[in-house]
Amino acid sequence: MGELKLMKGNEALAEAAIRAGADAYFGYPITPQSEVIEYLMAEKPYDRTGMVVLQAESEIAAINMVYGAAGAGKRVLTSSSSPGVSLKQEGISYIAGSELPCVYANVVRGGPGLGTIQPSQADYFQSTKGGGHGDYKQIVLAPASVQEMSDFVKLGFDLAFQYRIPVLILSDGVIGQMMEKVELFDQIPRLTDEEVAEKYPWATTGKKKGTERRIITSLDLDSNKMEEHNLHLQRKYKTIVENEVRYELIDCDDAEYIIVAYGSSARISQKAVQMARKKGIKVGLFRLITLFPFPAKQMQELCKKGVKGWLAVEMSAGQMVEDVMLSVKGCAKVEHFGRFGGIVHTPEEVLRALEEKIIGD
Amino acid sequence: MENQIIETEIIQLTKEDFSSDQMVKWCPGCGDHAILHSVENVFPNLGIRKEDFVVVSGIGCSSRFPYYMNTYGVHSIHGRAAALATGVKLANPKLSVWMITGDGDCMAIGGNHFIHTIRRNIDINILLFNNKIYGLTKGQYSPTTPKGHKTKTSPQGTYERPFNPGELVIGAQGNFFARVLDTNPKGMTAVFMEAAKHKGTSLVEIMQNCVIFFNKAHELITSRETRDDNQLQIEHGKPLIFGKEKNKGIILKGTRLEVVTIGENGVTEADLLVHDQYEKDPGVHMMIARMMPPEFPVALGVIRSVAAETFEQSMMDSIAYEKEHSSIKTVDEMLNSGGTWTIE
Ligand code: SF4
Repeated sequence: MGELKLMKGNEALAEAAIRAGADAYFGYPITPQSEVIEYLMAEKPYDRTGMVVLQAESEIAAINMVYGAAGAGKRVLTSSSSPGVSLKQEGISYIAGSELPCVYANVVRGGPGLGTIQPSQADYFQSTKGGGHGDYKQIVLAPASVQEMSDFVKLGFDLAFQYRIPVLILSDGVIGQMMEKVELFDQIPRLTDEEVAEKYPWATTGKKKGTERRIITSLDLDSNKMEEHNLHLQRKYKTIVENEVRYELIDCDDAEYIIVAYGSSARISQKAVQMARKKGIKVGLFRLITLFPFPAKQMQELCKKGVKGWLAVEMSAGQMVEDVMLSVKGCAKVEHFGRFGGIVHTPEEVLRALEEKIIGD
Repeated sequence: MENQIIETEIIQLTKEDFSSDQMVKWCPGCGDHAILHSVENVFPNLGIRKEDFVVVSGIGCSSRFPYYMNTYGVHSIHGRAAALATGVKLANPKLSVWMITGDGDCMAIGGNHFIHTIRRNIDINILLFNNKIYGLTKGQYSPTTPKGHKTKTSPQGTYERPFNPGELVIGAQGNFFARVLDTNPKGMTAVFMEAAKHKGTSLVEIMQNCVIFFNKAHELITSRETRDDNQLQIEHGKPLIFGKEKNKGIILKGTRLEVVTIGENGVTEADLLVHDQYEKDPGVHMMIARMMPPEFPVALGVIRSVAAETFEQSMMDSIAYEKEHSSIKTVDEMLNSGGTWTIE
């Protein structure tokens, strides 16, 4: 068993970065995720593993530092909260276009604009539909506990390097700020420069005799080549859809109704499911772990088993609900429920929404 | 029909006209309160109508300012206030535009817009609250935090060399730079008045104290015991003198400044550098702006104030010139002015 600790979500993410053998973290303060960089600085990761931590002059600088370090084949991450993540979108589009691996975290707060510092899930569209420009995708992991804030850093790096793709850990102010018990994984050693050169031929590790010169770019003025590059990216995304869907089903075996949720909304909905079951309502929880890839097939299978209604619960005006609708393809009623703008819904509200919007009519 | 301009007489406004009904949410003891009072004292005395003021800010503690001024205001995006204020001023050059910013907002994330606004010489007034720390996000280091200072994101002390705002302003071809202390209301009021009257971008660095996250950041310059030896109040046409006994001064020796004691080694007051805030050449102003303890006292007051054409003046002149000299007077004339083809 790994080391047990009581930690905030943001701290667990930071600790996991060191343990995952990250080479560098670049960040910029913003509420509610400033603890990530503060924890890292206090931990002196340079002494522990040689990991570098830098407070950049802006979120844009931070993501471009990530771009550079990722190009060198290093395990590198950044984190921010909604307004700061908006600033990073240009860099993320380029990283995706250049096929580089990186991990970044968004501890979502309410928007739009400066919005509020309270929790929200209103960045779903930005996260899953490409917040930057171009036909690109990123893997999106949605932790629902402090434990997952830690675990998904390691998983994120594995996926990022396997597919050479940006991986986003999409949490929110609740998960980032709450304290829970977490079992930390053991230290993974950082790769040496030789190992990087050996494992990642795409990285800019110095041109040796007989090897090709590597220029990191997302540009090709030849449209035919660009189309080919895009097709290649799409094939990669298809493989990810086939192989990397992650989710958790709770009480879904006999469910007539299903609540779909992720992150802190899933925690709240789980409580609502327990309350509903006590009342004899056959409802289950479909907790999304990957938001891209989205478990469309798995939802269709539940449809075939005769689910009568779906309730998408998210702290937004209704974003993920669109993917649920596209997935179940009209097999049953789909409705949305969620408080937003920084308000967190209660299990009672979720249960009432289920009864009124799904079961009621 | 011509737009009618209704000229209303400017009535004498008072401080009360500019205080808003909002609860001021800065920490008790924060230097921002004194700055707010000074600005409230300056605005009624500029001969500008209340509705012609716009207060623009970015994000940070200082950027809450627009809520507390009873004028039009924009609480905008982190680091972007300079660009936004540029937009306001160019859209309506008649407005008196005041940008409120902090060291992080202005020189970290906003550094780029900041230097370009200065380079263009847009006629806006920038008040830079320099508390050398990020206050709103609770105590991370900023681009002006002294090297080696311990903060939440530099528990071992920062490695980074801090910016001196004056150096940036003058380096970006700025024409107005002044420095004041938040503990000196009179000094602030006088300097803000001068900044307001200056045509072109004016920048006032206010050494502001964050009581919570970097208390006493400017203590050397503000405390009774040390201030006389560490601050120098500069005045146009006067020699650079400082010290408790008013017996120390600055001379220009070769290409650098030097601190001397009057009466020692034959130095007299006549040998001291005389401040000329209107000198076009930025060399000496840069040297004065760069003076920092322990070698030098910090210069306070208007360091540079040079008249130069503003961006909006050039823009309007060029529009007026084109209107007068262009052969094109109507849209039809423009469409038929060339670059078109007839397909037969
Ligand atoms: S945190 Fe510091 S700068 Fe912000 S209001 Fe409080 S004292 Fe002032």
